[in-house]
Amino acid sequence: MKMVRAMLRPEIADAVADALAEAGFISMTKMNVFGRGKQKGIKVGDVHYDELSKVMVLLVVDDESVEDVVAVMKSKAYTGNYGDGKIFITPVEGAYTVRTGEAGL
Amino acid sequence: MKEILAIIRPKQVSRTKDVLEKLGFPGFTAGCVLGRGKQRGIAGEITCELPADLHSVPGGSKYVPKRLVSLVVPDEDVELVVKALIKVNQTKQFGDGRIFVCPVDNVVRVRTSEEGDAALR
Repeated sequence: MKMVRAMLRPEIADAVADALAEAGFISMTKMNVFGRGKQKGIKVGDVHYDELSKVMVLLVVDDESVEDVVAVMKSKAYTGNYGDGKIFITPVEGAYTVRTGEAGL
Repeated sequence: MKEILAIIRPKQVSRTKDVLEKLGFPGFTAGCVLGRGKQRGIAGEITCELPADLHSVPGGSKYVPKRLVSLVVPDEDVELVVKALIKVNQTKQFGDGRIFVCPVDNVVRVRTSEEGDAALR
């Protein structure tokens, strides 16, 4: 299993979630976060915004689904500008459903 | 070391805290998250009685508010903590949450620069 964590534009996160649900990845968690990228935030006029608000979309999927998830995210979150976000993929060793206590997704 | 990420019901957080503290894991990080599971985010989250005229209103909520609890524990304690989290948070209803176990390479305690297992104790 892999955990896919994507930092996305807040206005686009919902569209990504809907597209993921359509592609069969219904379960997901999202969280409001603040961060910056290589561009060190953004400068608008004289004001420098060091940290920008993003939404972190987090989902855990089987190894073979990672590519599909990343493809959906890339196609939906893309605007071509700085700040589109980043996707991180990390290993997950176990998953448990609390309701049943069973292991697995 | 493993990181245990548990997505649980907000109202179970204080009970979870108590149990984890009794087991010897007083430290953890929690955050407010929104999410949904296989049931697409509805699934009887409301425990109070709904007024009758609201029953006919269509639609549900796309996301359900949850708490994300994260703690890093030594390898040998993973099973204990996961079992405890399941036991405390289980109501047998949809929406009880999910637990993920992820590998962690290293831990550093900022105050003392200790690394690895020493930083966890």
